[in-house]
Amino acid sequence: MPMREGGVRMKLLKTDNKLGYYLGDSGDYVPIDRITKDHLLRLVNLTLANNVEFDAYDEEQIQNQAHQIVYKSVYEKLYNLRERRQEFIDESERLYLQDYEKYRDKSSQQG
Amino acid sequence: MKKIDLHIHTIATICDSDFNFSIDKLKDYVGESDLDAIAITNHNVFDGMQFRFIREALSIQVFPGIEISLNECHILLISDVSNLDEFEAMTAKVTNRIIDPSDSISIEELKSIFGNLEEYLIIPHYRKKPAIHPETLSEIACYVSAGEVDSAKKFIRAVKDDTRLTPVLFSDIRISEDLSQLPTRQTFIDCGELTLAAIKTCLKHNGKICLSEKDGNRLFQIFEDGQMMSTGLNVLLGERSSGKTFTLDRINSRNENVKYIRQFSLVQQDEASYEREFNNDLQKRKSRFADEYLKGFKSVLDDIMNIDLTKNDREVDGYVSTLLKSAEYADRRDAYSKMALFNETAFSISDDQTLKELIGSVRQLIENVDYRSIIERYLDISALKQLACDLIETLWTRSFENKKKRFVNSLLKDVKESLKIRSSAVQVDDVDLYRVSMDAKKVERFKGIVEFIRKEAVISEESVQGFNVVAKKGPFLSVADVKLASGVKTAFKDVMKEYGDPYRYLQALMSNESLPQAELYRLFSKITYQILNRYGFPVSGGERSEFRLLQEIKDAQNFDILLIDEPESSFDNMFLRSDVNEILRDISKSMPVVVVTHNNTVGASIGADYLLYASKNVIDGKIVYRIYSGYPTDKRLHSTDRYSIANHEIMMNSLEAGRDAYEGRRRTYEVVEDR
Repeated sequence: MPMREGGVRMKLLKTDNKLGYYLGDSGDYVPIDRITKDHLLRLVNLTLANNVEFDAYDEEQIQNQAHQIVYKSVYEKLYNLRERRQEFIDESERLYLQDYEKYRDKSSQQG
Repeated sequence: MKKIDLHIHTIATICDSDFNFSIDKLKDYVGESDLDAIAITNHNVFDGMQFRFIREALSIQVFPGIEISLNECHILLISDVSNLDEFEAMTAKVTNRIIDPSDSISIEELKSIFGNLEEYLIIPHYRKKPAIHPETLSEIACYVSAGEVDSAKKFIRAVKDDTRLTPVLFSDIRISEDLSQLPTRQTFIDCGELTLAAIKTCLKHNGKICLSEKDGNRLFQIFEDGQMMSTGLNVLLGERSSGKTFTLDRINSRNENVKYIRQFSLVQQDEASYEREFNNDLQKRKSRFADEYLKGFKSVLDDIMNIDLTKNDREVDGYVSTLLKSAEYADRRDAYSKMALFNETAFSISDDQTLKELIGSVRQLIENVDYRSIIERYLDISALKQLACDLIETLWTRSFENKKKRFVNSLLKDVKESLKIRSSAVQVDDVDLYRVSMDAKKVERFKGIVEFIRKEAVISEESVQGFNVVAKKGPFLSVADVKLASGVKTAFKDVMKEYGDPYRYLQALMSNESLPQAELYRLFSKITYQILNRYGFPVSGGERSEFRLLQEIKDAQNFDILLIDEPESSFDNMFLRSDVNEILRDISKSMPVVVVTHNNTVGASIGADYLLYASKNVIDGKIVYRIYSGYPTDKRLHSTDRYSIANHEIMMNSLEAGRDAYEGRRRTYEVVEDR
């Protein structure tokens, strides 16, 4: 997923017409009652790789209670993930890092 | 022959414990040991001023050098004396790089600092810690002249093997002002003028180096007064209180990695404690054996312990009943249950165990030392390294994906719970059917494995010098058996009721809190370990100590010198002649052995390579201990202070024999009699 250059931020969650929406596959905003785990995974990927933003959760802005529940939870989690993005990415790359560096150095020296 | 020691420390660095250098001690060492050349090799440091001072003070050849931490091992790099300023400037770069004792430089750095490495004498730690890694050695092999070892045993082993580096034995001594024992580790080299180039040429040939000046590698120096002993089998004779044990103690204190079997150590005075000790020893061996045998089973068990079939059943039941209910009440759907996430299932996440194991296996192929040549015959190590890197990168990607899925799963769980509370519709419980069915399969396999390890069979049978060590497996037949194996005082009666079903048995064991979870693997199969005599019966009291002696001697293979003090004090002659002599002769082919004895069965029949005779005399009211030594066929044995004594006289005085036995050996003695 390419990074958006400049100060333009990709908005992943927004509120409109008293409902909650998420950024769909084709770039349009889809009502949050249709969000599935695969969409969630896509939003996680976007949050980790891009400069993203979300409309903050505001009870006044979403009247549908079912939307409120999902929007609030997704918003809070993604917001948190954005704040700890680097830590999240680094942790997976720590596995076998010593071996990796040892072998990579040697093989590039020989190669 | 020239005697050299090219590994000497004169400065306490961050890699040493603290000491104050003394030039007088260095002079003592060089003088007493008759050294012809030395090198000053401090850890990652070369001090030009101190070096010049030392060179002025000594009348022998002194080479400038440095012991460098290279790729986590140590190498000696020794220069000629032509351009000290330049050498000092180069070594300063090493000093600047090594700030912490764990630091080391790379081969590239070594080359960039010292330029053409062919101009130096390079000697890595070879059979000595921290030993050079085979990979590092292969990269600098063309510059290496010899490899340093730390014992006569390792020296002999390397010198006999043309495929190994030429070994050198050096003192690696810190010349401290309070140095009390001068080292005896030096190497003789068949070299004319002692220039760096000449030494390098000599070291290229195994045949040009040895441990003694006149006796090649048959003898090596053991005490600082020049006392030699055989690199094979030494017999140390002497009358009572003549200093034999004292001599063994001295050898023991001056060498590392010595196996010392002291007098009577294998025999207890009373039978009960004797038997107890033997049984403890047997228990230890059994425990080691059982741990090794059950290692694989233990990792299976660790996995099975995390499986809760009852909980899995509950989850499946919950899934099916909520699914049916949700269908039944389909008309009750509300705004909450209409959310796509309401009945969303979680991502299934793999633990990537196979990939991790694969990385481990590739790493083993890269790092293995013992079978390296075979591996290299078929596989390119640098390709394996790339493979390892690719696999690790794949693991990173997968683990990153899994982490994201875990994140989504936790979010999903939150949302579903919140929706469920508010909705009147039935939410379908989530279940990971893949894991549930995998768990069931694992338990089934586990039962099969337990059945196998419970089946009665001999699992190992080893013959040790006429004894038979037999290990068997089979089921536990009684509560008392399991209790004994657990070593814990707790009630096993209810647990044993489940013994027929391994999984339920495991659950019962796990619910008993007094049993340590990590030890449960011992409680599935009964492992017995017995030592039988040559007739197949459990060993008797006397046989027990014989067996222990033979085991101790066998164990000596892991050491550099074996010392045995009067084996005859514990054993009868038949056993000594038939078993002990044979095994000692055998082991002395690969390492120095010293046997102290009064006994003719040992002393005269063992076929010693070298004789040492300890004597105590009172001269001018003072007790003087002296050691005479020589080959068994020498007419006279000599002391280092130039006294001598007739070999025949020693035989007669030291080895008490009955008349019949003596007559049988008379002819042997005549050969060495000084008539």
